[in-house]
Amino acid sequence: MIGEFEYLILSSATRLGVDAYGASIRSEIEKATRHKCSIGALYTTIDRLELKGFVTTWMGEPTRERGGRSKRFVQVTATGVKEASDFFRAISRISKGASWTTNRTAR
Amino acid sequence: MISPKSWAVALWLSRFLCQADREAALGDLTESGEIGGGAIANILGLVVRRWTTDLFDMHVWFAVGFLILPISCMLSAIAQNTAGIGAVYSWMYLNNWDWALTRNPGFWHVLRETAIYYGIACLVLACWSWSGGFLIGRLPNATLRASRIAFIVLLAASFLVDVRGRLIQFWMSSHGVPLGPALPDVHAPITANVFYHLIFPWIVLAMLVIFPGFSGIRHGNRSLVLERKIRVVLVTAATISVLILLIHVPGVDLLFGAAVREWLWRNTSAMQVLPLLSCWPLFYVVANGFGRYRGRNAAVAE
Repeated sequence: MIGEFEYLILSSATRLGVDAYGASIRSEIEKATRHKCSIGALYTTIDRLELKGFVTTWMGEPTRERGGRSKRFVQVTATGVKEASDFFRAISRISKGASWTTNRTAR
Repeated sequence: MISPKSWAVALWLSRFLCQADREAALGDLTESGEIGGGAIANILGLVVRRWTTDLFDMHVWFAVGFLILPISCMLSAIAQNTAGIGAVYSWMYLNNWDWALTRNPGFWHVLRETAIYYGIACLVLACWSWSGGFLIGRLPNATLRASRIAFIVLLAASFLVDVRGRLIQFWMSSHGVPLGPALPDVHAPITANVFYHLIFPWIVLAMLVIFPGFSGIRHGNRSLVLERKIRVVLVTAATISVLILLIHVPGVDLLFGAAVREWLWRNTSAMQVLPLLSCWPLFYVVANGFGRYRGRNAAVAE
């Protein structure tokens, strides 16, 4: 099963579609979690996901707004989609009845 | 906030990353306008994570143990030998130069022979280094960064610990040969010279091992996209070169059986010719450069 950070990357990349690359995924994760996301954590996790066959990556053309540097695009594979949905279902199942899902304060 | 100094540090740190990582990370930071201290922290974090990943990768340790370590030790032993011979000749001719000798035809004859002999020795060492580097360059891309670092670190380490001397000592102790009294240093005037003792060997290591070795790594990595037949020929040639290198490492014959040693001793002249076979990288590099040049010209013409 994938980890939570891997899930965040898979979800962001799926949401972004053709615009999924390092900076955009990082921005999505920071907005969603309200925490800083380091480039080191992002790219090492993307590499791990690629090694597992959950994403494919490729370098795009250099662009001016990036100082003439290329983007590393990310596309989630069918296996990646299955893993992410399995993770989401597991999280949903385990969260059922937990105090924060029913707005009750834990004792 | 724009901070050119911080950005310069981040750019410098990014040199420790592979090309794709550098492009992606620096581009992301530029796009998000994060070019202050945050850029340094982000790049440094990525460098540390990459290195840590390499450190715990078993493929890297396998490559180091079975390929990079033996090649580094062999090359460093030969480089020490070549540096020693070079130091003696340089000291003889440069430090003891006498204009009167230039009028002697015998002097020029010996100088020419020495230059040819030493030139061939240097060329063969550079080709061995290239072949060793080529085999290292054939390793998977994921381990290449760590392999490059391991190659240079192990070369320097085996150069410092004198692998050749340790090998002979090991053989003597394992065969119960008593260590005799220390012999007087016949090259004392040369070893007393700081340049020949400390600096010259490192110049030889850099020029004849590290530079050709890294060129071999680059070509080995590029060869991954060549046709299968060509790849097989290149890898076979590089492997044969490394095997020829193995039997020429001073002291290595001690590890073979007596029969092999005797055979090597009887075929000394053949053994001296064998290293010339290792010079194939010279032709490959020239042919490769010519091919690239023609390809570029054809592209310009189109």
